[in-house]
Amino acid sequence: MSVFSHLRERARALFGRDRMEHDLDDEMRFHIERDVEERVRQGTDPVTARRAAVMAVGGVEQQKERVRDARGVGVLENLGADLRFALRALRRDPIFSVAAALVLALGIGAASAVYGIADAVLFASLPYPEPDRIVRVYQKYSNDNMFGLSMVDVMAIAEQQHSFSAFGVMRPGSGSVSAANATPEQRGIGRATSGFFTVLGVTPAAGRLLQPSDETPGAPQVMVLTHAQAVRWFGAPERAVGQAVQVDAVPYTVVGVLPPNVTNLAGWSPAMWAAMPLTPPQRRGPFGIRAFGRLKDGVTMESATRDLGSISERIFPIWKSSFRDSTSRLTPVDLRQAILGAESPRQVGLLAAGVFLVLLVAVANVAMLMLVRISAREPELAVRTALGASRWRLGRLLAGESIVLGAVAAVLGFALAVLILRLAPSFMPTLPRISNVSANARVAVAAAGAGLVSAVVAMISPMLSVLGRPVTSIVADRRVGAGKRTDRMRSVLVATEFGLALPLLFGAGLLFNSFVRLQRVNPGFNPDGTVAVSIGLPLARYQDPAAGLRFWRELESRVRSAAAFSTAGVSSNLPPTDAQDINNFDLKDKPVPPGGNEHLPPWMGASNGYFEALAIPLIEGRLFTPSDTGGNFPVAIVSQSWAKKYYPEGGAVGKQFISGGCTTCPLMTVIGVVGDVKYMGLGSSSDAVYEPLTQYLPSSANLVARVRGSTPSAGSFKALREIVGSMDPQIALVETTLRDEVDRSLDDPRRFATILGSFAFTTVLLASVGIFGLMAYTVRTRRREIGVRMALGAQPGSVVGMIVARGMRYAIAGSVIGIGIALLGGRWLRGFLFGVGSTDPATLALVTITLLTAATLACWFAARRAARIHPVEAIAGN
Amino acid sequence: MAESSGELLQGTLEMLVLKALSLEPMHGWGIGHRIEQMARGAFVVPQGSLYPALQRLINKGWIRSDWRTSENNRRARYYLITRAGTRQLQVETADWERASKAVNAILRVATAEGL
Repeated sequence: MSVFSHLRERARALFGRDRMEHDLDDEMRFHIERDVEERVRQGTDPVTARRAAVMAVGGVEQQKERVRDARGVGVLENLGADLRFALRALRRDPIFSVAAALVLALGIGAASAVYGIADAVLFASLPYPEPDRIVRVYQKYSNDNMFGLSMVDVMAIAEQQHSFSAFGVMRPGSGSVSAANATPEQRGIGRATSGFFTVLGVTPAAGRLLQPSDETPGAPQVMVLTHAQAVRWFGAPERAVGQAVQVDAVPYTVVGVLPPNVTNLAGWSPAMWAAMPLTPPQRRGPFGIRAFGRLKDGVTMESATRDLGSISERIFPIWKSSFRDSTSRLTPVDLRQAILGAESPRQVGLLAAGVFLVLLVAVANVAMLMLVRISAREPELAVRTALGASRWRLGRLLAGESIVLGAVAAVLGFALAVLILRLAPSFMPTLPRISNVSANARVAVAAAGAGLVSAVVAMISPMLSVLGRPVTSIVADRRVGAGKRTDRMRSVLVATEFGLALPLLFGAGLLFNSFVRLQRVNPGFNPDGTVAVSIGLPLARYQDPAAGLRFWRELESRVRSAAAFSTAGVSSNLPPTDAQDINNFDLKDKPVPPGGNEHLPPWMGASNGYFEALAIPLIEGRLFTPSDTGGNFPVAIVSQSWAKKYYPEGGAVGKQFISGGCTTCPLMTVIGVVGDVKYMGLGSSSDAVYEPLTQYLPSSANLVARVRGSTPSAGSFKALREIVGSMDPQIALVETTLRDEVDRSLDDPRRFATILGSFAFTTVLLASVGIFGLMAYTVRTRRREIGVRMALGAQPGSVVGMIVARGMRYAIAGSVIGIGIALLGGRWLRGFLFGVGSTDPATLALVTITLLTAATLACWFAARRAARIHPVEAIAGN
Repeated sequence: MAESSGELLQGTLEMLVLKALSLEPMHGWGIGHRIEQMARGAFVVPQGSLYPALQRLINKGWIRSDWRTSENNRRARYYLITRAGTRQLQVETADWERASKAVNAILRVATAEGL
């Protein structure tokens, strides 16, 4: 009974709140009236009696509050009341509320989106069993100089290692593939060993995966299809097993299909995986193999590093005739780290830093708006105080408003994050694992958390302003404006906004500066009007080098004589970023000192037509001639940078070197020097070595053609397809224009400059709005003073000047601090910069001027109101 | 010499309210007035504490309230003692008598020895 009635009473307290409040009112009124009645009956006059009655209960409101407390739901109910009150107050001031919620939502949305990206790209564990035990093995020279392995290294590790429970390798590649009667298409093909799948712990959806017997040279050619490819070709995974697939015209048998969710293995997503034959190597190189191991239980990274290190020391000397290498070591690297590389954590870090600054500025801005609003609400607050609301109670009202704002902003921010995350994969396709991003529960929690923290941080200074001030001063201050303390807090907040906006603007400025410089880099060729098709020759039918050479020559001459093209040529590398091959060499007259490393410039086979089609000038010596057929007199053309680097004194033509560490091969002679071309990105050096196709016959190369007229069209590619098709219908083409290639190489710098630029723009906008709000408030509270000044003869212009000067004090103070932060933080951007220092004074000056101009404009807009003040009205009225 | 403070002993207000309500249902002002009458002016019921105390008694289930018409013909909130309240009053009365007897005995002894 007691418990029941107790609960009922509490429930009534919570849910029947309105009725209970009403009852309480009535009861108090009855009590006072009854008491007054009694006192009057005893002879007191009615007015005194009423005052005495109210005093006897200790104030009606206070009494009601105490009864509410006794009801036991006070705190909860007050919270509800606070929030309801906050909502009402916010609704009364829609411009402030909408502005504050949007500003916060912007910051929260961007921050939680970047959290979502970091979560998917950096933090999420790999989708393999015990992913922390998987490593990739590199040949490591230094932290940013890590290569793949050669077959020599792979076989040595497979035989000698003690650290891995499983070890496997793969090599990315591509080829012209077809099944049944489908037309050939160019697709990614991974070559892998059985161990590769064991290391990753992958199991097939149908059939089997690769097994060791598939790797013996001469074994039947087999492959595993991805689920998507199996469905596309054969309708269902089960039906794919046992089917024949052609890769570069070589027949393969499908032995198994991967599960549908396995599209990416160890950072690469080909359409199919073919068995890699383990052919005993002749030399150490090429180095395109990616090796992976699963650490045995109890084996640490350190002991695995020692294990592989000792293998390096054993085998590298044995193979030094083909590759001189005394400093590098075979080194295990955590697979996730290997997939991420050095670049992506820095890129995500850059986003996070930028977004953090945006959020901080947004919070500072909202805090500022709240402070200004408090001053505007001082009459209301003063009345509440006089009526018995404690300062604590006022603080709770502020907190309520702040929490409501934060909650609304978190919801809006999450919606924004969902949108951003949907666009992120297409906007930043080069980030590994970016395709995994989703607006999941963690992102929602991040948004909620950011909302809460923002709300709490934003209310700190308004709270201090209310709680830290005696009630009387709130009332007294009304006439002369805000208290000094609130005033100072507002100025500090505005200065903070500028102090944070400047470093962000500076960072964006540096990235834009780099981007512009990168764009101005001469790639060394004319990318306009040039098309390229990449062609992989089916090895089965072009095994004879003569057949391959014949194909490339025939293709080049057919394209040159086609009406659509003026010139054409063949090269195995495609500028500005596709250096498929890099190779080591050792100069005969300037050998690498013992213990040193040989240089590794981009290396390719090319025809004379290639130089012509790309307009690469011959600077010294000669191009290739038909008599350059390799044999005992191999020749090479080098780039101007190469010549200047190794022969600064001149005379590079005629010099000789050992190529690829082959000490038994005849020396290669430099016959010509051509203009610099970028092969490893526009920001890289321009070293390059070209060999004639007779010496360096690529199985996969690019045909580059200059179109007649100036712009390539769909017709240009159609013409190329027809020519290639008439020569060999089995060959698939990958089409591009060199302008596209150059543009694509600028994608990342452009994206990051754009993203940081939009962050910077947002913060500058917020800071400007903040200072505008502050100065508009200043004008409002100083109306009377301004009126007096104008009545005494001050010109509107000088009043405006005074206000602007006042505002600019804050902006300048903030900017000075911001410059300090920018100079310190700039070094952090170094890896993103090209041709511009991390403390570039010109950029710093430019962004400071930009920021201060924005501040001046904002102040001026606010100050204009001062000029319109009518002196008489201002002094007389209020 | 010392004066009678006129203050109510801590915790006794609720017992007195129950006692007053055991006679008849009353509204808040009436309860205060009645207790003061019964005390013959020995102390003043702190009105500020009365309504919170009534609320606490309701929470405990010892009294309940009802809207009725008052002696001066107005709507007033009347409080009624419940059966649980009556039992509680008996318990508290017994406790009080035991305690006050003991306290009286102590005070008497102490006074005699002091004289």
